[in-house]
Amino acid sequence: MATADTWQPAPSLPAPRSERGWIGWARANLFANWLSGLVTVVTVPLIAWVLWRIVAWVFGTADWTLIASRPQQYLIGLYPTELAWRPLAGWLLVSILFGMAAAMWGGAARRIAIGYGAITLLLGILPYGMFHEGVVMPGWIRALIVANLLTMAVGYALGRSSHWGRPRTFVVGGIAIYVVLLVLLTGLPGMEQVPPRQWGGLMLNLILAVSGIFFAFPIGVLLALGRRSALPVVKILCVVFIEVFRGVPLITLLFMSQVLVPLALPENFPVDSVTRAAITITLFSAAYTAENIRGGLQGLHPGQAEAARALGLPGWQVTSLILLPQAIRNVIPAIVGQFIALFKDTSLVYIVGMLDILEMGRSIVQGNVQFADNGRELFIFVAVVFWIFTYTMSYVSRRVERHLGVGVR
Amino acid sequence: MATETAAAAQDATEVDNIVICRDVHKWFGDFHALRGVTTSVRRGEVVVIIGPSGSGKSTFIRTINRLEQHQQGDIIVDGVEMTDDVRNVDAIRREVGMVFQSFNLFPHLTVLRNITLAPTKVRKLPQADAEAGARELLERVGIPEQAEKYPGELSGGQQQRVAIARALAMQPKIMLFDEPTSALDPEMIKEVLEVMKELAASQQMTIVAVTHELGFAREVADRIVMFDEGQIVEDLPPSDFFNNPRNERVRRFLSQIL
Ligand SMILES: Nc1ncnc2c1ncn2[C@@H]1O[C@H](COP(=O)(O)OP(=O)(O)O)[C@@H](O)[C@H]1O
Ligand SMILES: [Mg+2]
Repeated sequence: MATADTWQPAPSLPAPRSERGWIGWARANLFANWLSGLVTVVTVPLIAWVLWRIVAWVFGTADWTLIASRPQQYLIGLYPTELAWRPLAGWLLVSILFGMAAAMWGGAARRIAIGYGAITLLLGILPYGMFHEGVVMPGWIRALIVANLLTMAVGYALGRSSHWGRPRTFVVGGIAIYVVLLVLLTGLPGMEQVPPRQWGGLMLNLILAVSGIFFAFPIGVLLALGRRSALPVVKILCVVFIEVFRGVPLITLLFMSQVLVPLALPENFPVDSVTRAAITITLFSAAYTAENIRGGLQGLHPGQAEAARALGLPGWQVTSLILLPQAIRNVIPAIVGQFIALFKDTSLVYIVGMLDILEMGRSIVQGNVQFADNGRELFIFVAVVFWIFTYTMSYVSRRVERHLGVGVR
Repeated sequence: MATETAAAAQDATEVDNIVICRDVHKWFGDFHALRGVTTSVRRGEVVVIIGPSGSGKSTFIRTINRLEQHQQGDIIVDGVEMTDDVRNVDAIRREVGMVFQSFNLFPHLTVLRNITLAPTKVRKLPQADAEAGARELLERVGIPEQAEKYPGELSGGQQQRVAIARALAMQPKIMLFDEPTSALDPEMIKEVLEVMKELAASQQMTIVAVTHELGFAREVADRIVMFDEGQIVEDLPPSDFFNNPRNERVRRFLSQIL
């Protein structure tokens, strides 16, 4: 009591040497000892120099005319310009899904939708083609591209509504939109037909990848289950299928699908070379997916199946309700990795003479003397486009994993 | 006349005995795991099975709901003979609940969904009814507040109690326990045994439990059955079993674990 009014705080000590802030960070990470200091002194200027060279090249030396003068060809290949409203209309429908996803799941889905909307807007308003000779993009195409923001807004409103904003609506709607898109691209009977041979550009890569993933996943699940089947015939068929498709390079399979399969099929069999390539890519991916899922199934504790059987669940429900959900969740990273590979492999369809985004670009470089030296620009551009999509896929995968991880262990 | 009485007597035992095993043999490859097991369990009876590790206790109770197939002899559960007929097996599994040493809850489903899954999918109960029943069972095993959690968020003792509730949700006539407390920390064993004792006290439930909790056995078992090398070597009420075991192998086993 008596000391209460005489009490004085002890004088503050001098601040400790900062371990935070950028000085502290640099001390801890770049100059922790003389060796690390030496490495820093040598590498930092080196990295700066390389970065400077890249920036100087991208914004100075590089000539992006071969990209900027032909945006339409990178997007849809040689699809007839006067019919370009068809892929554009399909694109408008797809944007609905992005809007819906943003409204329904928020978070990562919203961030992806925002990035998607921004890129779409840029594609619509960038002044490409204006200052160069080339395939100038007509104003109505620009208008239809920008209109995607409207359909995204429609999707967002749908996603908000309690009646439409359900995962089931999203999935069913997505499948319906996809089918409509394919029919629209080909043309209904009576409309002018545009066979898949004439599809191209990024659109072709995306269509092949989406179909591939959509079918490879269920086929992979069935193959994985078949390989574990107690029926010898089923088991052997699945093993042979998986091992053949995993054992042969995709490029070989694609050649075989063009050269060998026609021998086995009747003449004029209505499966064109593009569809055959798509099926080959799908089955190739399905074989890998099957092995991933089988690995997931084998990693499960045998007690899971026993407990489910002991409860009286019939075999197919033990598999579909207890084993598969756990197995798939455990191998999501591997499966997404597989689908990223599938997306990249879609550029192999140049083998059957298709003009995907890469081959379209190569033919622009090779067919125009003024672009003969611009191969470097082309490959960097194509690489960045692929990277944007594959990075988005692995981002989604990480988010989904984290989301499903809730409550595990 | 004589055969009729014999048949009637047989009927009577079949009605009385919910499990009947006659000379059951089981091989794993060359290994003879069950060597002629003959026994029966009356309705409402509590049978505790003990015996050294590897003596076939688990294998035996797993043949009762056909998680293991026996190769010789008969097993009749609730009047249904265990054969390869899938319908028989499914019918039996609906009547027989099982609790495992390692819990085996479904980690991707909530506690509530773990319990309601089989009633809704197998017994076709409406979800709401199944949920009401599940909450009642969680109350009974003492963890009503854990319904929305995932198994990974519970302690071992809580998980095992959920596993018991999950089995009970199918309203089985028999409960099989395979060392339900062996994977638990000592302080959690008691809470699981309490639930099992409460279950044993209800007259309708038949229980076959493999356990080395001798206190539990002494308190609630009607019979103690000892396995050794794939055979039943002793089958006595607890008082006789513990106080004057005649069998040399029983005495040796008891001296090892007491
Ligand atoms: N799936 C199996 N395959 C081969 N041997 C097995 C299998 N299951 C159990 N066994 C063997 O059968 C014997 C009895 O096992 P088990 O019934 O688990 O014994 P307990 O439960 O009494 O410890 C053991 O020797 C064990 O190694
Ligand atoms: Mg055992």
